Amino acid sequence: MPQSLPVSTRTFPTDTPVDFVVIGSGPAGSSVARELTRNGFNVVMLEQGRAFGPEELEHDEVGAFFTERWTNSSQSQPQTYRLTEADKAVQRPYVGYAKAVGGTSFHFTGNYWRFRPIDFNEYSVKGGVQGAALADWPITYDELEPYYAAVEWAIGVSGKANAAPGEPRFSREYPLPPLNVTGPGVLLTHGCDKLGWSSKPAPMAILSREYNGRQPCHNCGFCLGFPCEWGAKSGANYTMVPEAIRSDRCELRTECTVRKIETNAAGRVTGVIYFDKDKREVVQQAKAVVLCANGAESPRLLLMSKSNRFPNGLANSSGMVGKHFMFNGAALTRGEFEHEVNGHRGPVVSRISHHHYELDPSLGFIGGGGFDFRFDVPAILQALSMPRTGPQWGSAFKARLKPWFTHSLLSYAHTTSLPVATNSVSLDPDLRDAWGLPALRTTFKEHEHDMRMYRHFQSLGRELLTAAGALRMHDDPINEEPGFTVHLLGTCRMGNDPNTSVVDKYHRAHDVPNLFVVDGSSFVTSGRGQPTLTIQALAFRAADHMGQAARKNEI
Amino acid sequence: MRVVPVPSLLRSLVSVSRREFLVGSALGAVWMAAAVACREAGNGSDHEASPHSLPPDAPPPPRTLQVLSPEQFTELEAVAARIIPSDGSPGAREAGVVWFIDFALTSFAADQAGVLTEGLVQLQKDVAALHPGHRTFASLTDAQQDALLTRMESTEFFGSMRFATIAGMFALPKYGGNANYIGWELIGQEHVFEFTPPFGWYDHPDNQQALLGRVL
Repeated sequence: MPQSLPVSTRTFPTDTPVDFVVIGSGPAGSSVARELTRNGFNVVMLEQGRAFGPEELEHDEVGAFFTERWTNSSQSQPQTYRLTEADKAVQRPYVGYAKAVGGTSFHFTGNYWRFRPIDFNEYSVKGGVQGAALADWPITYDELEPYYAAVEWAIGVSGKANAAPGEPRFSREYPLPPLNVTGPGVLLTHGCDKLGWSSKPAPMAILSREYNGRQPCHNCGFCLGFPCEWGAKSGANYTMVPEAIRSDRCELRTECTVRKIETNAAGRVTGVIYFDKDKREVVQQAKAVVLCANGAESPRLLLMSKSNRFPNGLANSSGMVGKHFMFNGAALTRGEFEHEVNGHRGPVVSRISHHHYELDPSLGFIGGGGFDFRFDVPAILQALSMPRTGPQWGSAFKARLKPWFTHSLLSYAHTTSLPVATNSVSLDPDLRDAWGLPALRTTFKEHEHDMRMYRHFQSLGRELLTAAGALRMHDDPINEEPGFTVHLLGTCRMGNDPNTSVVDKYHRAHDVPNLFVVDGSSFVTSGRGQPTLTIQALAFRAADHMGQAARKNEI
Repeated sequence: MRVVPVPSLLRSLVSVSRREFLVGSALGAVWMAAAVACREAGNGSDHEASPHSLPPDAPPPPRTLQVLSPEQFTELEAVAARIIPSDGSPGAREAGVVWFIDFALTSFAADQAGVLTEGLVQLQKDVAALHPGHRTFASLTDAQQDALLTRMESTEFFGSMRFATIAGMFALPKYGGNANYIGWELIGQEHVFEFTPPFGWYDHPDNQQALLGRVL
């Protein structure tokens, strides 16, 4: 069992500006904090969730998926959703994330795909799509590559570089060999072999060997939605957060809900106002603020931080804060097999195929995706996912439960999704949360291009399952809105033009010199899926430049 | 009831759970919506890193009815036992599904009491109307019970009971059901924190060799 999170030994006064306040302890915030502290800066890191002790890390499916044990709360943090701006938003949970030290990496699956060069310049290579706000990133793959490698080595990623055609350039091999292959991984490979598609070991933020004093994966199977009782998952709670704290330059304050980033008449950030765990208001002064609250909460906080000088919300002179909300597209089909798959044992994902990373141009799609085969949920959710054909209760239903658990798997296509200006995060005008703050409102409708592309990927998934020998297949529906989502991207996009983007290529707000926004909100396009490694690489790069600028007194 | 999904769980899972719980619409955000009390974080404790130092799961709650009456317990158990019967292997009855329900009604599913108790009243009215001389669902034969439940498959009560039966079969025993993990045993989910390969048939080296011509 891993050790508990170290407790901050350093404290900083609230009434003296600390070098940096970092809002959020997830993959972005903790990576920024780790890098800044290593470069000699003092950091106060604010986290709205709490730390979970080792004795709480159970295989508790009810807690993980039903009682919001470590995720954002539909009770204290209600949300609303509408399909289009013409609709009235209704109260409904729509955006999900882990509310815990380490952010969503506390309970992630650990898929750690790098982006490829095409993800950064697809617009100029392939052109636009009507109704989408495609644009190139202001940075290239080569600019980000050293930071990808640095993150992989800092936290411990298992995989094999250049194991299939089309890989981007790797300056360094992964620090750890691939994880154990699982039944779903073998079947994915079998299907790919038969179709002539490439496949490779999945790069995973899970240790295949002991690394930095942490134990390797014990193949317990409870990854997605669960914290790792072994400390083998390389989430921020086991990596970046403890390293930042051990620097003795970082104070982590948990259960702190930030309500406003404060600015002065000169248009500079002076600090943040937050509620502590007793809902007392605290003002923490700061020389600079780094906002890493995730792709939904970061724009929400900017919109809540309006002032006379920033009447449309902070850093929002472009009107782009909250716009271009992207998730990752998905197309899923469940397959039943002759023999025991037992996908509930071992890592959720062990092999992937990026054969369709870019689609045949004759199909007319921008973007693409990748496949894995997996078995990612425990017994309750697996039983509830039973195909609606056939008995739903009684002896015949009971007889289906075991083979559905041991002999099936999920073909999962992860894809791009287009940035659309009208898909957004905004403040609900009516509903408020338990702190009296405007509720998060999501407006989202899939672009018609993406609906067609997801269907294409679903047919590819059926082809792959068939080649792998599936006896029966069951498609999950593809809807014009996903129903609930967790990859939160694009809402404070980076760019060189202050009129069309929120932050510059170093994540500094165009409008506010000492405010940085670093997380999934920075993405200009969605990537093919699995955004966390890119979020962390961006965070390393941003922190690098923040440190250089601070030393030159240029913040 | 709603699912709180997690990275890359995404769409399908949620659509499944939504569909499931829209069957009993009051389940939306209600069943298990309020968080169960978590034990305090163990900040600062210093645990030995050993494969055998994982703490045991919390024990089940005492089997003393908190919300349901003994008659309601018997009736709901009869319903649950038709959803997952004890037909040669343990079912909802042996798993203690209704103990799970009673525990849930004291905590995270307190708002569901009405759906179940009012649904039960209606169920007993149907029993009396269709089977003169009978007052309780539990007193009917299996076939009579199944016929009645088939009629009410689309009701909120049945949707809620179906969900609760599945959850009570497979939730950790600390929630009152899944006694001695017999629900997990039924489907092959083990109460184990580590496995060594091969995990199943396909990743066995011999079968990898046969399928792929190589071992990954």
